[in-house]
Amino acid sequence: MSVGSQAYAALRICYFNGIIPLWRSPLLIAAVFLTPFSFLFFLFVIAPHALFPYGVVGGVLFTALFTGNGMLNDCAYLRLERQLQQVFVASPVTPLAYILGMALSELAFSLPAMTLFVGILFVVHPISALAGAGLVGLLLLTWLMATSLGFFISTLFSQLREIWPIGTLVFSILSILPPIFYPATEIPAHWRWVAYLAPSTFAAQLADRFAGLGGTITTGVPFLDSPFFDLAGLAAFALLFGAAALFFARWREN
Amino acid sequence: MPALEARGLSKTYRKGARPVRALDRVDLAIDRGRLFAFLGRNGAGKTTFIKIASTLLLPSEGELRLFGHDVVREPSTVRRQMALVPQEGKLFYHMTPREHVYEYLRVRGVSAEAAKSRTDAILDEMGLLAYQNVIALRLSGGLQQRTLVAMVLATEAPFLFLDEPTLGMDPFARRQVWEVIRKATHRGSTVLLTTHYLDEAEQLSEELAVIEGGRVLYRGTGEMLKATVRREVRVQIAGEVRPEELASFGKVFAERGRTVVLTSRASVRELTDLGLARGAEVTVGPVTLEEAFLELVGRGIEEEE
Repeated sequence: MSVGSQAYAALRICYFNGIIPLWRSPLLIAAVFLTPFSFLFFLFVIAPHALFPYGVVGGVLFTALFTGNGMLNDCAYLRLERQLQQVFVASPVTPLAYILGMALSELAFSLPAMTLFVGILFVVHPISALAGAGLVGLLLLTWLMATSLGFFISTLFSQLREIWPIGTLVFSILSILPPIFYPATEIPAHWRWVAYLAPSTFAAQLADRFAGLGGTITTGVPFLDSPFFDLAGLAAFALLFGAAALFFARWREN
Repeated sequence: MPALEARGLSKTYRKGARPVRALDRVDLAIDRGRLFAFLGRNGAGKTTFIKIASTLLLPSEGELRLFGHDVVREPSTVRRQMALVPQEGKLFYHMTPREHVYEYLRVRGVSAEAAKSRTDAILDEMGLLAYQNVIALRLSGGLQQRTLVAMVLATEAPFLFLDEPTLGMDPFARRQVWEVIRKATHRGSTVLLTTHYLDEAEQLSEELAVIEGGRVLYRGTGEMLKATVRREVRVQIAGEVRPEELASFGKVFAERGRTVVLTSRASVRELTDLGLARGAEVTVGPVTLEEAFLELVGRGIEEEE
């Protein structure tokens, strides 16, 4: 398949696996929105109001990260329960087109929630158009990283029962423990290196920078304190998980 | 060059403590444009063979070529020439039959125009027009399976793998599907079919293979298979004859209130005379493919033990 045909195949997969179900079951949008909105609600009620913008940025980021959990569950479900991935494997559709199509479907599910959170952010803490564009770019990179990881994990198991808790565990750890909903400076100084083990820390730091919120970790080393370090960290994780999804995921069983 | 050629194909699953040999040095060739059926008990190795041939699974040993291309080394080349109905496959619950067929064709790179006309044609041929806009969630199991088969047959791929394609369908639907499968071979596609419905294999296939314990026990036509069994005649007796009296003639069993004896040609005269002398109704005919299959596989199991 040519690059153009693969891109087209990916878009069609997104259409029938993402757009059609959303159109026919709009409640799916609420399901994606519910968890980050609950966190935001609790923050609003119990935390100082100065932290609320962190919660809003956290909500956007959480939604982008949880596309990975959706990807993991959907891919596992289509492969193990419906045997539909097999129909695509035994066809001219390439793994890249399938993965991209599935990832785009997850983006379609999450887009309404992300748009809503960005809208709230513009109301409670206005940001410039440039910062907004940067935030969108960051969300796309986060989506790529998370969905690649989700697809890779989905191919490692042969039972749905094994996959569901793994997905929830991995993506909850990535989305809740790192400084997504709170400033990174809240982490005790000697534990901050642990936060960098999670790609979401880099994403959160960048998001807070784009939103002009401050509260990012400083070390005194100019490169480590710059947004380029966070971008490089997130990009490295995205490349690593992307490579895992494309080259090490079990498109064909052993 | 055959459409499919397997040489020394073996597969050992290494899950758990004991490795399981699912395929054991299978040699097989299927000519282009043929409809080939794979028969065997559950776990005999049919699906493993199809999974390897359709690039879903890697073999442990041996090689398999599809139109001359190695399925392990050249997967992207062979994938362009195939389509698969997986065993117990299910649909996207939110899509209609029309969307399934059309979208699958478009994803495979078929033009919009061709995809539309093929979708119209296959939905008609498979008796799905009345349900074309009903989402899968609301379709019966048989209609869902018919949609899955329609989706794959509409590809007109040169090689079609159909793993139990008519599972759960009513007899009318099965016959409709048979007709479309036959059309696919007339068009030039090669079909490898697995089924537990022996009548289906008999009706559809030009050639078949019986697989047991990962090994091919028999390869040839259904008629030849029936001729190879020791007891090639089926005698059905309805009347006052006790089964014990018939045991010496061959295999005896009850079927819908009648006694059936599978016996050799040499014993038919004596057996029918016995039945008629007792005033019973006696019907003589060839064994069915199912009986030949049971006999062959039973013998294979005995030899293994």
